[in-house]
Amino acid sequence: MSRSYFLVPVIAAAMTAACSQVQSPAAAPTLDPATQAWAALAKYPDWGGVWEVDWRNERGSPPRPPMKFTPEWQAKADAYQAGKAKGENLQSEAANCVPPGLPGIMTQPYPIQFLYQPKEIVMLIETYMQFRQIWTDGRAHQDDPDLTFYGDSIGHWDGDTLVVDTTGLNPQNLIAPGIGHSDQLHIVERIHRLDADWLEITTTLTDPVVLAEPYTSNTYYRHRDDVIREYICLENNHDSADEQGRPGFSLE
Amino acid sequence: MSARRIAAALAVFAAAGVTSAPVLAHHSTAVFDMEKTVEITGTVKDFQWTNPHTWTDVSVEGGDEAGIYGLEGMSPNYLGRNGWTKHTLKPGDKLTFEVHPLKDGRKGGFMVAAKFPDGTVLYNLPHREK
Repeated sequence: MSRSYFLVPVIAAAMTAACSQVQSPAAAPTLDPATQAWAALAKYPDWGGVWEVDWRNERGSPPRPPMKFTPEWQAKADAYQAGKAKGENLQSEAANCVPPGLPGIMTQPYPIQFLYQPKEIVMLIETYMQFRQIWTDGRAHQDDPDLTFYGDSIGHWDGDTLVVDTTGLNPQNLIAPGIGHSDQLHIVERIHRLDADWLEITTTLTDPVVLAEPYTSNTYYRHRDDVIREYICLENNHDSADEQGRPGFSLE
Repeated sequence: MSARRIAAALAVFAAAGVTSAPVLAHHSTAVFDMEKTVEITGTVKDFQWTNPHTWTDVSVEGGDEAGIYGLEGMSPNYLGRNGWTKHTLKPGDKLTFEVHPLKDGRKGGFMVAAKFPDGTVLYNLPHREK
């Protein structure tokens, strides 16, 4: 990636602020720790703007390969598909405005945005108006995390690629239609800006209970000169799903 | 618009092969007859520029089809990026809507397109010319 993507204005502003306090031109500027922490963000690649999944498949990506499930979970996948013939499993909890959690939240129709902070990278997700926190301050995973929609995400930079390692995910999250996961689900995302227009995220899911082998997929996001917009799912929702996944639709 | 053309438009959005339903952010198309497109001509009673979907009540007068039709549409987030605004439809506007009707026969469906008296057509669902 070109150095031109770097956050030059940030460090310039930080240096200007620091230098304005230095009386002697001979003295090297000394940045206080907070300013240093913000100035350090200048080395991150520029992922400004918002990023939208390539729904129109402008890149001509091949269809994703199917997941390979363990025998126990293949049986569940078969039963889920069979339920559709009975009018079940046609609608997910998302119709009731329950957000999908990770990994589903990363392939929604509306854009995402990255915000750099000294200790974390925050991902704003327009669909369902969610956010993810990716800790980049060197901390380790929690020993006994609560199982949550977005899990415990630790990030580090491998060159211009952000590597995000996530555990502690809520087994109610789906990794495929009708397919949950165990508390051993481990997700690694490698996030990289390819060029001016495209960001690539390579995602690997490992779950020895559900998946017969790790599952890796690529998702491409197009840069948009736009902002994240409000999305309150319960504002005016006419759709629903019952516990068997039968769809409902209210005209009221 | 033919059902085949609609299917083509939807296929565009499905092509990425991602697991979640891409066209409608938070629900499937199960309640709508996506193979069928009907035209509804009437008067806009209300246009709700809301998430997770816009909502349009259309009053149809006369004949067996008379009544209020409830039309779900794409979200302000999608439509706002594709030429629509909260002012695109106003109460009192008379126009024709292309709709995927509800399978259960109630008066409602998903808005495919709005066809204005001056000939302008604004697509609501993602659309690609053949």
